[in-house]
Amino acid sequence: MSDLLIGFQDVLHPATLIWVAVGVTLGYVLGALPGLGKATGVAVCIPLTFYLGPVAALGMLIGIAKGSAAGSAVSAILLNTPGEPSSAPTALDGYPLARQGKAQKALKMGLFASVIGDFVSTLVLICLAAPLARYALLIGPVEICTILLFSLTFIGGLSGNSMTKGLIAGAMGVFFATIGLESETFVSRMTFGLLELEDGIALVPMAIGMLAVAEMAVQAGNVKVLDSEGARITDGASRNDRVVLASEWRRCLPVIARGTLIGSVVGILPGLGASVGSFLSYGATRKASKTPEKYGTGMIEGVAAAESADNAVVPSSLIPLFALGIPGSVIAAILIAAFILHGLTPGPLMFQQQPRLVADVYAAMLCASVILLIVGYTGQRLFAQVIKAPLRLIIPGVLLLCTVGAYMETSSVFSIYVMLFFTVIGFFARKLDFSFVTFLIGFVIGPNLELSFRQSLQLLDHNAMNLSKHPIAVVFILLTVAIVWWIGRGKGPAAGERHASAGQTPEKHVPTNS
Amino acid sequence: MYTITKRGLLHFVAAGLLGAVGFGHTALAADYPTGPITMLVGYGAGGQTDLVARATAKVMAGELGVPINVVNKPGAGGAVAARDIAKAKPDGYTMLFHSNSVINSAPFIMEQVNYTPEDFEYAGMITAYQVGMATQKDRPFNTITEYVDWAKKNPGSSYGALSPEARLYITEIAKQNGLDVNIVPLKSGSEMINALLGNQVALAFSGGIHYRYPDELKTVSALTTFRHTSAPDVPTIEEEGYPLGMDSRTTLILPKGTPRPILDRLAGALKAAETDAEFAKITEAANIPIKYFGVDAANKEMRDSYAKNKGIMQRAGLISN
Repeated sequence: MSDLLIGFQDVLHPATLIWVAVGVTLGYVLGALPGLGKATGVAVCIPLTFYLGPVAALGMLIGIAKGSAAGSAVSAILLNTPGEPSSAPTALDGYPLARQGKAQKALKMGLFASVIGDFVSTLVLICLAAPLARYALLIGPVEICTILLFSLTFIGGLSGNSMTKGLIAGAMGVFFATIGLESETFVSRMTFGLLELEDGIALVPMAIGMLAVAEMAVQAGNVKVLDSEGARITDGASRNDRVVLASEWRRCLPVIARGTLIGSVVGILPGLGASVGSFLSYGATRKASKTPEKYGTGMIEGVAAAESADNAVVPSSLIPLFALGIPGSVIAAILIAAFILHGLTPGPLMFQQQPRLVADVYAAMLCASVILLIVGYTGQRLFAQVIKAPLRLIIPGVLLLCTVGAYMETSSVFSIYVMLFFTVIGFFARKLDFSFVTFLIGFVIGPNLELSFRQSLQLLDHNAMNLSKHPIAVVFILLTVAIVWWIGRGKGPAAGERHASAGQTPEKHVPTNS
Repeated sequence: MYTITKRGLLHFVAAGLLGAVGFGHTALAADYPTGPITMLVGYGAGGQTDLVARATAKVMAGELGVPINVVNKPGAGGAVAARDIAKAKPDGYTMLFHSNSVINSAPFIMEQVNYTPEDFEYAGMITAYQVGMATQKDRPFNTITEYVDWAKKNPGSSYGALSPEARLYITEIAKQNGLDVNIVPLKSGSEMINALLGNQVALAFSGGIHYRYPDELKTVSALTTFRHTSAPDVPTIEEEGYPLGMDSRTTLILPKGTPRPILDRLAGALKAAETDAEFAKITEAANIPIKYFGVDAANKEMRDSYAKNKGIMQRAGLISN
């Protein structure tokens, strides 16, 4: 604890604090711009880290991660173009809210949920990093496999108006994720001789095409309607539409708490990632709700659930890094490089050898949470004006940013083709009312499920009886069976929804939300 | 300040002429370099190779007096970036910093990759990968020979493999000794560390990052032709009677036809990294030994290792020709 106080003394120095603020601001702005996100921010900042001191460099990188996770909610809410897949659930309810003239309310809720999730998860990291990481190691491929299987049942809850279409979309997601080198025999699957496909379809360009560009295409076909509607949205006519009311706080706080918990747990576990966190949190909130059919039409809880989990994943994915030296996410891998760059070896030894540096980084992370609140609150007023701009001005800009974002990660034009390919799929998914959220779930979970299943087969020595040594896995298998049975009996959330959702005005023109 | 010399005047005229014709920096090799250099890295940002590449670029940029832009171009283990280099202009302004495994072992493993050492030029090598087999500190074996005895008594044990080479090693050892080992596929180095620290596997193939965990993990065998700097007491796999040592080194790879003076100039700048204090600090923290090779040594190493790896893969039945 005394270390942490010294850490704050070090970080609250203007020369350090300014870099943390630069990181958060950059991350937030990049996240808020559709198509750009973490990947872009990190690419911009890696060269900079060479010239900064270790605390400033690490603070800036962590700031980018936190900022972009929160910022991606902005484009999801205002334009229905989530910059990263983890914000796709945010758009489900955030965009309808924005079209109802409650953009500022949704943005604020998203930001508060992000900051709370982020701050609490950071505290978890600081207090419990070492013991939690040790415990997380007990979760091996066998357990992960069953957890992923369980997560797949959420397709049932998120598949929109038709369960069958939701399942088809989910299966398509799994299918596209099988492209690339197979992990055991190293046979290329469906690459058609294209070297670029050996590593599979990259998540970022796929998600940009599917979520952002396709949405722009649909909106372009609807310009007149949307614009005349946009003109009528008198943003902030009543104060109740601009701020988060006390009653909404009461409804959202448990949701945020659950989202933070889910996000933190997902972050610690290897191989799940931010998207799984926000999908799970959104799905769980909907399941727990008394009115699941209202989700997708502008429920503020939906925004809170997705955003709190999305941001809670960021600090907790650093737990394996700090406690064990294992990168749990892309940002963590980059942070390892930044540590090594300054001659430090990440891992348990760091606590003994560099307690002051660890304390500094912790303090920087807590400061970043607070800065995020300030930056986000100020930035939102500016970003919220976007909703009044006519689409003919917005669409070209968004397309440009999307193209840049798709290109950035791999520096390759091929990624832009991937983006365009999935734009076509995303366009038809929207027109034919197939859920792209279940597609994403399939795409993200499918390959991990396959790999962990193959790993489990080997680890269990090809003998199902060995499962008895993995009680956690058995619990999740039983849960999965129970939920499938529950959905199959028609009591699942998707069943009641067939009658809902068509009545809302904003939904009629944008049949995109599943 | 400026005194006009004959040489300076010639440069001026030459630059003017070239500029007029429209060639930016494709000036004479003697002037090289006159503009920024692009350094491709075939892996994403944040990995070990990326880290060494950026540290190298910093030293070389200081030596050459021009900026070096590091561009990550991941894909197919570096084969995508290598293909770009094969097509690039051989003027020394585009180069690839990558493990030479993309040329000396990827062609035997990936159907779409067919490079030979003759398809590129090499301006030197700077670090070596400490590829080895690692296990938990408390396992009762310290060498491959001891592991084989242990695995005979413990059939159905698990081995973590993250590449075709990793599978090759264990299949060869298992074949020769009649072992029953389950090969667990792993996707990345961090997954491998997870599997080892979580006691999921009894042995795993490591690209060298297990050296970051001296308290928990130990090296059982060096899968290289040399003993590892980080574990000088651990025998290599060849010392234990399996001729399977395959070396990989970070190499400066350039398009075929790059003039020799340019390669020498780059090699000279690369050599500065060998003794650079900051470079040493970074590689030491990452447990990466510095082993500098100049142009000729790098060329020889490329050809020798290619021939050797080809022999190993042929004997293992991975390739037929």
